[in-house]
Amino acid sequence: MFFHITLERNMQLHPRHFGPHLRDKLVAKLMKDVEGTCSGRHGFVVAITGVEDIGKGLIREGTGFVTFPVKYQAVVFRPFKGEILEAVVTMVNKMGFFAEAGPVQIFVSNHLIPDDMEFQSGDMPNYTTSDGSVKIQKDSEVRLKIIGTRVDATEIFCIGTIKDDFLGVINDPGVTA
Amino acid sequence: MSGEEEENAAELKIGDEFLKAKCLMNCEVARILDHKYDQLQQMSTDPTNQISQVFEKSMQYVKRFSNYKNTDAVRQAREVLSRYKLAEFELCVLGNLCPDTVEEAIAIVPSIKSKGRKLEDDAIEKMLHDLSLIKKFE
Repeated sequence: MFFHITLERNMQLHPRHFGPHLRDKLVAKLMKDVEGTCSGRHGFVVAITGVEDIGKGLIREGTGFVTFPVKYQAVVFRPFKGEILEAVVTMVNKMGFFAEAGPVQIFVSNHLIPDDMEFQSGDMPNYTTSDGSVKIQKDSEVRLKIIGTRVDATEIFCIGTIKDDFLGVINDPGVTA
Repeated sequence: MSGEEEENAAELKIGDEFLKAKCLMNCEVARILDHKYDQLQQMSTDPTNQISQVFEKSMQYVKRFSNYKNTDAVRQAREVLSRYKLAEFELCVLGNLCPDTVEEAIAIVPSIKSKGRKLEDDAIEKMLHDLSLIKKFE
């Protein structure tokens, strides 16, 4: 799920940036440092939408760098256990399939794919029901439930399932359009 | 990280910080990112430099899964959903997935039927109906 939250960060700025454009420099550095990063607590920082407050700077002894406490608002993506969301399948193999929902990777093991779906190898590996009516392959859109998350220093990985009511391939043309 | 173990979106256990935060539906994120993308392109001569992979992937994702394409519809959808005393998180899951039936709505957001909530099936049905109308007349 995407959230709009307020975050705080202490920014260190080199003295060469001090001058009339100090604020701009600080904001530019903040965007460069923070956007695209990921933490276990807040998830992926997608975009900074505004800077709320820049506190008083504190000069560091010895280096001359100044530390500013900055409060900013950002759009973040944070997956939760138990959350249901839509994702695009990126890779299918006999172990299961990988899907992507925005910046996050989700793996669905073949144990968590309904039992009536069989793996078919070939040019386009896929999972298909015995009557061939439902097929999961690369670029399919699926609705899945996140059942586990693993937090890394720079990434979040999720484990998902489609073995539940109202989960699986989305075939509503209105949604896929 | 003691909160990590207990986290469960189905029971709305997503941590205080996120429970109070404003959730965004995919369509809302699409609008914000679009705006930001335009800004970046105006600001710098080489926009590819500035755009992170996370941003790019998120943008592709929300564009693909946006249910409401125009600003008015997005606003209306939020307005309709906010009449039903939903938590922000529930509101956005419903807005993103647009369930067709009451049964489906309860399956994807089990917390709307949990203890202490007075949301009846009729109310849910009405809500889903209103949502589908927005989509139809968009």
